[in-house]
Amino acid sequence: MAVRNYIPETLEEALELRRDEHAIPLAGGTDIMVQHREGIGIAPDVGKPVMIISNLAELKGIRRRDDGFVEIRALETPASIASSDIVPWHVRQAAARMGAIALRNMATIGGNIGNASPKGDLPQPLILLDAEVVVASVGSERRMLLDEFILGSKKTALRDDEIITSVLIPEKEFTHLFYRKIGTRRANAISKLSLSAAAVIRDGIIEDFRASSGAAGPKVIRSREAESLLTKRQVSEIPDIADDFIAAWDRAISPHAMPRYRRNTTSRMLLHFLEALQDETLTGIIG
Amino acid sequence: MSATRIDDRIVRVDAMEKARGEAEYVCDIRFPGMVYGTLVRSTVARGKILSIDVPALPEGYSFITADDIPAEGRNELWMIAKDWRCFASGDVRYVGETIGILCGPDRGMLSYLKKHIAISYEEETPAVTIDEALALKGGPIAGEDNIMCSLYCEKGPKMDDVFRQADSIFEETLETGFQEHVHLETNSAIVRQEDGRFTFYISAQCPFYVRKSVSGLLGLRPEDIVVKQTTTGGAFGGKEHFPDVLAGPLLVACNKIHKPIKMVFDREEDMLYSVKRHPSKVVFRTALDKEGGILGIDGKIYYNCGAYLSASYVVLQRGVFHANGVYDFPATHLEGYGVATNTFPSDAFRGFGAPQTLFAIEMHLDHIARKFGYDPAEYKARYFLRKGGETVTNGHIVEDVKLPEMLEQIATASDYYRKAKEYGIGSGRGIGISFYNHGGAFTGNGEQAIIKAHARLVKEGSRVRIEVGSTEMGQGFQTTLRKIAANALGISISQIDYPNPDTSRVPDSGPTAASRSTMVVGKIVEDCAREMKERWDEGDFSVEKEYVHPEGHPWDQDTFRGDAYLGYGWGACIVEVEVDRLTNEVRTVGIWSSHDIGKAIDELVVHGQVNGGIIQSLGYASMEKMENRDGRFRQSSMSDYVVPTSMDFPSQEWFLVDNPYQWGPQGAKGMGELVFNGADAAYVDAVERALGVTVVKIPIPPEDIEEAIENAR
Repeated sequence: MAVRNYIPETLEEALELRRDEHAIPLAGGTDIMVQHREGIGIAPDVGKPVMIISNLAELKGIRRRDDGFVEIRALETPASIASSDIVPWHVRQAAARMGAIALRNMATIGGNIGNASPKGDLPQPLILLDAEVVVASVGSERRMLLDEFILGSKKTALRDDEIITSVLIPEKEFTHLFYRKIGTRRANAISKLSLSAAAVIRDGIIEDFRASSGAAGPKVIRSREAESLLTKRQVSEIPDIADDFIAAWDRAISPHAMPRYRRNTTSRMLLHFLEALQDETLTGIIG
Repeated sequence: MSATRIDDRIVRVDAMEKARGEAEYVCDIRFPGMVYGTLVRSTVARGKILSIDVPALPEGYSFITADDIPAEGRNELWMIAKDWRCFASGDVRYVGETIGILCGPDRGMLSYLKKHIAISYEEETPAVTIDEALALKGGPIAGEDNIMCSLYCEKGPKMDDVFRQADSIFEETLETGFQEHVHLETNSAIVRQEDGRFTFYISAQCPFYVRKSVSGLLGLRPEDIVVKQTTTGGAFGGKEHFPDVLAGPLLVACNKIHKPIKMVFDREEDMLYSVKRHPSKVVFRTALDKEGGILGIDGKIYYNCGAYLSASYVVLQRGVFHANGVYDFPATHLEGYGVATNTFPSDAFRGFGAPQTLFAIEMHLDHIARKFGYDPAEYKARYFLRKGGETVTNGHIVEDVKLPEMLEQIATASDYYRKAKEYGIGSGRGIGISFYNHGGAFTGNGEQAIIKAHARLVKEGSRVRIEVGSTEMGQGFQTTLRKIAANALGISISQIDYPNPDTSRVPDSGPTAASRSTMVVGKIVEDCAREMKERWDEGDFSVEKEYVHPEGHPWDQDTFRGDAYLGYGWGACIVEVEVDRLTNEVRTVGIWSSHDIGKAIDELVVHGQVNGGIIQSLGYASMEKMENRDGRFRQSSMSDYVVPTSMDFPSQEWFLVDNPYQWGPQGAKGMGELVFNGADAAYVDAVERALGVTVVKIPIPPEDIEEAIENAR
């Protein structure tokens, strides 16, 4: 029954523990400690060695890189992400609404991604923005789209010798932005449904259109098929395209519980955003 | 030290130690040689137990079941009725029913052993809902028809005659769901032998209930057992009878192993395996005249009692007695049925049966008013009970009813009439209103016939100690009762002591329930204090008094006729909302309430109760969804069973009207439950108006609002 747990002092040491012991990284513990709780007075049983990586300086920091990406290192908390002015708006919105204040100071972006819950707050806007995730193992590093890294509910492409080290978000200016999280209540809530949308409109042309749905299927959903119905089209064409777009999006999502609510609400929010795109007086954040 | 007066606003006497974390709860207490206990529970809702295979237990561990109840004991917990078994034996009737208690020194080992106890069942088909039970799904659970208890009351002309004269009939069914107490401190208890007597340290509302309930398990008398209430971190009714379910197995185990045993539920256990508020179904059939005026209301009231009757008959009675709300209709006939199901037994919860029927009658009147084009406030006000008015039990209202004044207060503060007209039906904005009351203390002559409360004051030097069985559970009674005593004695509240009750040291002042503590126990303490003040110079002495029943309240407990309650608290509430048309999220923009509680003993305590009660009621209406599928509760944590935060209902404007109650201390009446009883209906009324929908079932989270919108199309 005795399992060794570790507190590595460097990333290198952590990667070796990961390789040799397949130790589970614990940063804030806000998922692991809940998932493995055993009751009052009993230590959680994770079933594998745990390494507490909370203090690894190499995994902290938020910075704007020269290559057009904003980098958020894996141990950054929702609190720090929400208050950073270089993090894109959608991600800050999601970070600011995660759980309770205490959780927002304990949880980490690496953990939220690694947990891969369809209700997770951060993956949804990150996938909207085509964010990439960087994972490291001893002597090597891989980089891939977050949308491909998260395979399904609670499933990721992380190998048992790898650690998530950072998230890279391409910097992009949008003319229209939309974010909604419908929680079980107004604060300290798990997401019932969420939606991000963004567009770039220039000279009456939709240069970019994208959306992502959280808590509406086994993982965050983007539908390139639906998005392509709108991109490069004229704003004036939206009324003709809207029904097909909504139908395509509805086919892409697959909510299990409360399907009617989740489908109808998603459609209403998307339609609302499309209507805002047609209103020349509205730009920026769409309320 | 200056004398404390009733109108002084003081800091709660227990505020500092609780805020600092110094208060000691059961989970903080340890005794030498203490072991832990954990309950082994049924995993099926209904079935026969075929076998129980227990692994070889290490030294110091034991598994105790019904077989360990001695020959002179009976396997029953006495909670008004005696049908709830301490240990299931032979069969199980709900998921979570106690089969045994596993005891031993290490909680990790207990958890391991618990997972390795194999119980096999012959499963039977459970009946979980009221409808399933009435249809006798899986065969009857109780009696031949699953009706565990029933009653009726009526007033005015016969229903047949009333309905014959009706121009139209309005019929609808209104339902409410389970509600979980979510007291901050989970259920917990320790038992040990002290000076040859079994002694409990327990988080509980009613220490005398515990000893009465469990003593029969060992063939003992209640006074053979000592119950010491520990600082109790919230209860809401969830620690009225339910602590017996912990205390019973602990007692049988302690009798067997003779060691101190501690049991503390974790949150998941406390959610999945504890009592809940009774789900209800109320069918109202109302005879109306041409203008929509009410000729009479026929009501059938069904409460889901779960697998055992326990306290449900009394809950049902209160539901029936409140089923005409604050109104005096010319005729009514009300039938109540307590239905047996294979769910965890339902039990006390703030309001004790009244909130369900009050919700139903309020919504019913809203719906009739809207159908006939009346403003609900104006329509309801036509029927307000007045002093001398007849209640549904053919008793009479003996106090001034201040509802018109209360309506005026909150309508003015909220600008109700303008908003009600301006916000069109379906505009996304809505304002709703409700009225409610709560009968104070035990029903009828229960205070006199059943409880016979005693209270005692003990003077030692310049200090005075209050000795009662009444408990602080977060509601502020430590402050309220000391203040009543200090005020009557003309001394400072800092000279008064009021230790948590120990049944071997204090007289039984009755349960801390039914909004009776301030009104009834407070009065006895005040009377004791008055006498003590007169004799102050006699040195050290004590004064003990028994409850005196006010004259002129006839009541027949066999026919349920007469004055069901000695006096009522009254309430009125307005809620204003904005509904997000994209997401159905409801934003509450204003809450206004007015209450008649006789007289506030401490305005800060009362403020806390008003705010808390209203928020709890709004949670009940809006988000607190506890589902039960196949006998299993689906919500097991505070993240999936959500209670409101201050972000959900951020501010309230509240009023009190002065209406001193002749038989209460300083004119005070009960108020702890009243403030829960009505905001739900005001909220739902507001949402209905905002969206142009009809709601007949709570709670209404956004996904259920979606359904109501679709139904309205």
